[in-house]
Order: sequence, then C-alpha cells, then structure tokens
Amino acid sequence: MKKVRLVLVGLVVLAFLVGCASKPTKEIEDTTAAVKAVIAEGLDKYAPEDAKKLNDALAAIDAELKVQDGKTFKSFDKTKQMLADLSKMAAEMKAALPAKKEAAKQAAVAAVEAAKAAAEEAKKLLAKAPKGKGTAADIEALKGDVKGVDDALVEVQGLIDKEDYAAAVTKANAVKEKAAAVAAQVTQALEKQKAGKKK
Amino acid sequence: MKRTVLAVAILCLFLTGCVKEEPVPPEVSLAEKQEFNLWRAGAPLYLKEPFSRYREALLKSKGDLARVNAQFRWFRNYKSIQAEFAQVIKEGDELFKQLEIEKQKRASMVLEQMKSLRENHYRLEKMTLVIHLGQLSRSYLARAEVALNEVQTLYKGEQYPASEEKLKEAEAYLAKAETAIAPVLNRYKDTSQIAKWKRWATETIEESREKDTYCILIVKANKKLLLYKDGSLSKSYPVGLGHNGWSDKLRAKDNATPEGKYRIIRKNPASRYHRALLINYPNDEDWREFYRAKKRGLLPETAGIGGSIEIHGGGDEGLTYGCISLDNNQLEELYHVVDVGTPVTIVGAVDERNSLSSAGTATPSKRGK
Repeated sequence: MKKVRLVLVGLVVLAFLVGCASKPTKEIEDTTAAVKAVIAEGLDKYAPEDAKKLNDALAAIDAELKVQDGKTFKSFDKTKQMLADLSKMAAEMKAALPAKKEAAKQAAVAAVEAAKAAAEEAKKLLAKAPKGKGTAADIEALKGDVKGVDDALVEVQGLIDKEDYAAAVTKANAVKEKAAAVAAQVTQALEKQKAGKKK
Repeated sequence: MKRTVLAVAILCLFLTGCVKEEPVPPEVSLAEKQEFNLWRAGAPLYLKEPFSRYREALLKSKGDLARVNAQFRWFRNYKSIQAEFAQVIKEGDELFKQLEIEKQKRASMVLEQMKSLRENHYRLEKMTLVIHLGQLSRSYLARAEVALNEVQTLYKGEQYPASEEKLKEAEAYLAKAETAIAPVLNRYKDTSQIAKWKRWATETIEESREKDTYCILIVKANKKLLLYKDGSLSKSYPVGLGHNGWSDKLRAKDNATPEGKYRIIRKNPASRYHRALLINYPNDEDWREFYRAKKRGLLPETAGIGGSIEIHGGGDEGLTYGCISLDNNQLEELYHVVDVGTPVTIVGAVDERNSLSSAGTATPSKRGK
C-alpha cells in the first residue's frame, strides 16, 4: 500500500513538472507571425534598426528554447516573457509604421513635385527661346535633354508606385539637378542670341 | 536541537544569499553592441560571408551563455563564456578593420568610375554639340547624367553598392548615346574615307587652277566654305549645315548635307534665305548610292532622293534641312563672284586630325563639375 502511494505521489509530481514545462508553441507561432507581418509591411525599409531589433529578439528566444530543450526539467517562463515582450514590441512598431511610411511617401512626393517644377521651368524657357542665329543647334540639343528629364520623371513615379520612396527621392533630386542645368543652358543660349543681335 | 537549527540556518544562508553571485562578464554586452555597430556600418552588405560567420559565433556564444544562466547560481561559471565572447569581440574588431578597407576600396572604385563616366559623358555631349545629332543621343546623355547625379548622392551617403548599380545604369545610357553617335563620327576617323574626300578636294582645286576659274570647297568638319580662284584660296566663310549635316545625304528629309562633286546650276536672286545658289544634287553618284541603299533594304520603298540643295543666306550658325547657309553679307559677296557652272565640292574633312576625329579628347576640367 505504501509503495502504491509512493508511485502515485511520484506520478503526480512528474505530471506537475512536465505540465509546467510545456513548450509555448502557440505563442512562438503567433509572435513569429507578428514579426514577419510587420517586416513584410516594410519595417526593414522604413525603420531598419527596428527590424533588426525584432530579428535579434527572435534569435534570442530561439537560443533560450535550445537551452530549455537540452534540460531535463524545462522551464519556459523566461521564454514566455521574452515572447510577450517581443509581441508587444512588434505591435508597437506596427502601429508606428504607417506614420513612418507616410512621412517617406510625403518626402518622395515633395521631391518629385520639385523635380517636375524644375522640368516645367526648363520647358517654358525652351519654348520661349527663338530658333535664330546661334541658338538653333543648342536649342535642338536641349530639347533632347528635356526629353531625357521627362523620361526620368516617369521612372521616379514608378518608384513611388512601388513604394520605393528613398530611391524615388534620390532620383527626383537628380532629375531636378539636371532640369536646372538645362534651364541654365537655355538662359545661356538666349543670352548668346541677345549678344549676337547686338553685334 | 540548537545545533540542528544552526546547521539549517547556515545551509539556508549558503543557498540563498551568502554565496556571492558571479556577474555576467562585460564582454557579453560589448559583443552585442559590437554586432549592432557592425550591422549599422554595413557589414552584411560588404562582408556578407565573414559577417554571417561572426554572427553564428555570436549566436553560439549567446546560446552557451543562456545554458550557464539556466544553471543554479552556485554552479554558474562564466570563465569559458567570457573567453568565448572575448574571441567573438576579437573577430568583430578584425571585421571592422576589413570593413573599413573594403569600404575604402569600394569608395575609390566608385569615385574613379564616376570620374571616368563623367569624362565620357562630357566627351559625348561635346560631340553632340559639334555634330548636332538630334534629340535621341541627347536624351540618353540626359538619362546618364541623372544616373550620375544619383551616384554622387549615394556616394556621399556611403552607399557604395547602390552607387555601383547606378554607375551601371549610367554606363548603359552612355553606351546607347555612343551607339547613336558612332556611325556619324567613325566616317571622320576613317582614313580611306578621308583619302577619298582629299582626292575630290585636290581634283576640284586642280580644275580651278587649270581653267583659271573659281571653285568652291565646303569642308564640313571645319564648317567652312573655301573659295578658290585659279587654284589658290581666295576667301573662307563660316557655314551652317543641315540638322544632320555631318552625315552624307542619302534620301529626302534626312536633313543631311550631301557629299560629292557638284556644280552651281542656278542662281536665285530672291530666295527666302536672301539669295541662293542651287547645286546639282542629286548627281549620278548620288543616284547610284540611293539605288544601292534601296536594293539593300536600307531605305523604305516610298523614300525619295530629295533635292533643292542650295548655298543660301540666313546665317552661318543656323541649322538647315541639308543646305549650306552663310551670313547674308558674305553670301552676297560670294553670289556676285561665282557663276552657274562653278564647281562645288562638299567633303567631310581633308585632314585626319579634324574637329570630329579629335572631339573625344577633351576633359571636363572647365565645367566645374
């Protein structure tokens, strides 16, 4: 009878120990999915340091799981806490992401508008330029430049559509620079023509 | 009883507080910071494989640390962990050095290539201004310049891999522009073509000498009309050519200025471009060329050969549809000197070192770029 009691108590203790140490599979799956979702939404593009923090936290959880897997008496309390912290962090980052995305988009839109304005300015000047003596060849060449600027602007819009805002800003600024250079050359050609008339 | 209580109390103290807990070695947080700094400095981009190995070593060390942390505190021993993390930090320091070297290498490569492409861009742009090649090549050059402007920005931001991508883009546009320019330009470098033009020029001047008459030699590369009298140079006038004037005229509306040996066939005292001297384009050789091109499928069936090529007024810097234009006062002078029948020979160049063959030698030092 004593032996039976002892076995029973042993089984209860074992059941208690094993029960306490069940792997938090659902929490792991949910947290991993939450991290992947926020990264897929563009976290690594708009807040790469945040994305790294999430990935590092996932790696730390993985290391902790390995430690517990190697032990006879497992305890996943720490893992659960780490998972809860990570889930919270991912949720906060997800909530902050739209604002970061919008800010990047607005910067790209502003850059493209500035580039378009510079291109329009160059076109306006070019339209005013008379194809007279001394300017015809220059004007013809500058028309080709303006076509190149217009083609590049189409590409900038494509980058915005693809939500590649950083690349869009870089290209838009580059286009603006070229458009300004074209405008300066048109002005120069006009001055050359004026000087020709005075002769 | 007292002894038992004392023994239990000592044991409790030993188990709970009296044993000094060994602290986690500082190398652990140092390694974590180092990994973050390496990541931020671009190690995954520039040293993908070594950085991946370094991260694996760091992860292994973190795993070992977690195992030690999971032990009862009086069994914890961080000595091996400390050594492991110290080794990781050493590897990380080495990576930093490698990263710096790699970045400097990539930066100087980007800078060098950017400089070379800017020079190439300048050379091609200069050529388009010399030979007025129309909008296509200029549009490619504008795209190349936009890409080079992007490289400049990315380079300043130390984004060398992205700079390299943009350099490739710029290079591709420059190649397209060069492809558009090359067919025109190559004729001015072709020694056999120049020899043919020289022969025409010599024959025309010789004829002027033999017949004691005027002759006109137009040299496209110099944009000059040379008036010879009795075989000697009498006058030189600057001229404008067609939009595509550096090419030999092959068909109507190609805006090219013909090359060949012609004669003045009519003098027009009331041209819309002041006065005009009509030449006999197309001559027999032009017709032969035209049919040859049609036979080889180089021209559409409906294409005509064109005509009405004149030496007229309107300004020496204008662009024409293929005619040769002079300043009105200078044309006036020429108009009264030459007669119907005066030979007019139009050539690309008479010198192997002409303005087009040497158009690619300048550097952009004066551009302030």
